[in-house]
Amino acid sequence: MQTRPLGDTGHDSTVMTFGAIALNWLEQEGANQMVEHVLDYGVNHFDVAPEYGDAELKLGPKLRQHREDIFLGCKTQERTYEGAWRKLDRSLNRLGVDNIDLYQVHGLEYDSELDEITGDDGALAAFREAKEEGLIDHIGLTSHGDPGLILDALDRIDDLESLMFPLNPVVAGKDDEEYDYEAVLARADEKNVGTLGIKAFAGGSWPSTDELPEADRPLANWYRPVTAPDEISDRFDFAAAQGLTSVVSAGDPKLVTMILEAAADYDGMDATAQRSLIERVRHDDSPVPEQLHH
Amino acid sequence: MDVPHTVTTALDDQPVAGKRCLEAGAGVGNTTGGLLANGAARVYAVTNDRDHARTTRRRVDGEGGDGGDGGDENGDGANDSDDSDENSGDHGDRLAVLEADLRAIPLPDGSVDLITAHGLCNVLDPASLSTVAEELSRVAAPGAQLVVDDYDPPPDGAAMRELFAVENAASELARGRPALTFYPAAFLRRFFAGHGWEFERERALLEPVPWTESHVSAHADEAADAAASAADGSGGAGDALAATARRLAAEIGSESAGRMYSLAFRRPG
Repeated sequence: MQTRPLGDTGHDSTVMTFGAIALNWLEQEGANQMVEHVLDYGVNHFDVAPEYGDAELKLGPKLRQHREDIFLGCKTQERTYEGAWRKLDRSLNRLGVDNIDLYQVHGLEYDSELDEITGDDGALAAFREAKEEGLIDHIGLTSHGDPGLILDALDRIDDLESLMFPLNPVVAGKDDEEYDYEAVLARADEKNVGTLGIKAFAGGSWPSTDELPEADRPLANWYRPVTAPDEISDRFDFAAAQGLTSVVSAGDPKLVTMILEAAADYDGMDATAQRSLIERVRHDDSPVPEQLHH
Repeated sequence: MDVPHTVTTALDDQPVAGKRCLEAGAGVGNTTGGLLANGAARVYAVTNDRDHARTTRRRVDGEGGDGGDGGDENGDGANDSDDSDENSGDHGDRLAVLEADLRAIPLPDGSVDLITAHGLCNVLDPASLSTVAEELSRVAAPGAQLVVDDYDPPPDGAAMRELFAVENAASELARGRPALTFYPAAFLRRFFAGHGWEFERERALLEPVPWTESHVSAHADEAADAAASAADGSGGAGDALAATARRLAAEIGSESAGRMYSLAFRRPG
């Protein structure tokens, strides 16, 4: 599988990152097999979080067995110094490792949170101490929020080495600033900050829970993903062709093999094919009636 | 509104800022939106289709925010003026939507600097295409640019060919002319050169062309509408064509096939 430098970290990440939330939906034996399966494809970057149910615990055994083959990303939703330290300790314990390669501020959503994490008593102070102590190696940030906020974070956090944010043909087809994650990618590239793409496989939101109760959803993803192999492959190719360092796999274990196959086969995507995909999803989604043309 | 990437790609090497632009065949306003977003001084969006004129005004001109515009009527339906409509939206002072026939464009000679024809030529039969080309050449100022975006004929074996064939048969029966004519890029390149335009460049916009379910059903609707208006006195052919269009649309669902291209020309002078 192709690899790309993750910003200035010195690590070359595979073009696919394994979203280890998928392990939460498996029993331990299945989780072990899944990790072996992902490693068989050469994937070397894993991403997990304490919020993903039992994913940390289920990743633990195989992570410890293959520790040197896995660049491990973890994250915290805590915004304070105390909270971040507590969550980091807990993740290290649950994963059963001495060190996390990339520790990320998880799900930044509001301006006030950026103020909080960068303050004297903020989460980043804990991250930096942990880095000095060798408990983490690199600092990152994840958000599916306002691109403007992510750009601010990029400007204000000097030691940020990676960003994780949404990128797919649905958002690429929208012009509003609230969807301008391409601007985030461009600025991150300028600053040589690594980029990890999420929601690459999002097809849309789930129907309302009145229409489809959560318990009746056929897949474990936050969003309704594309599920056909050729669609998965198009979506992977599109995300990887935007220039992201790595594309994070979808959260449902049923999709992981298709994404691994797509990542293993990745060899670029023409600009015309990228536009075709943007057009396709734009029309699937369009509120404008009766369009005969593109 | 979101400007389609087909439009932004076709325009990204064109001088638009500060120019007087003519969008020939406004459709639902996609290119008009792109021209205004790129800083056109003025856009004349010309269409002979009242629904398209209305949709263009609403999407490009009338929007304050985004989203949620599915299905609303805005209460502006019947009362739109027929000619240029200077709405009070963001672009109101730069946009004039003209309901007019492109074979007689209501603009003076040499009055526009940039002309776009995005997905226009395929809805013009050869006779209309010739007349429209003369008109576009007439209203173009010396040194004007012309951007022509269209589709190569769909490849052999593409299921959409069959649906287009039915759409054309129904249109021939109803109106005595085809609904769609797909001109190869090489044809339009030489055609406009024959009208005095210097060829500048060709680029691929879409390959393959994604004919989505919404496109397929829109074309099936067109075919069925034409077939319905031809039904009287067609000895059952109209009804048969309508049924065939519906069946094909259901069978095809969606299909990615063919190529959409962009040609750019310059008017000497």
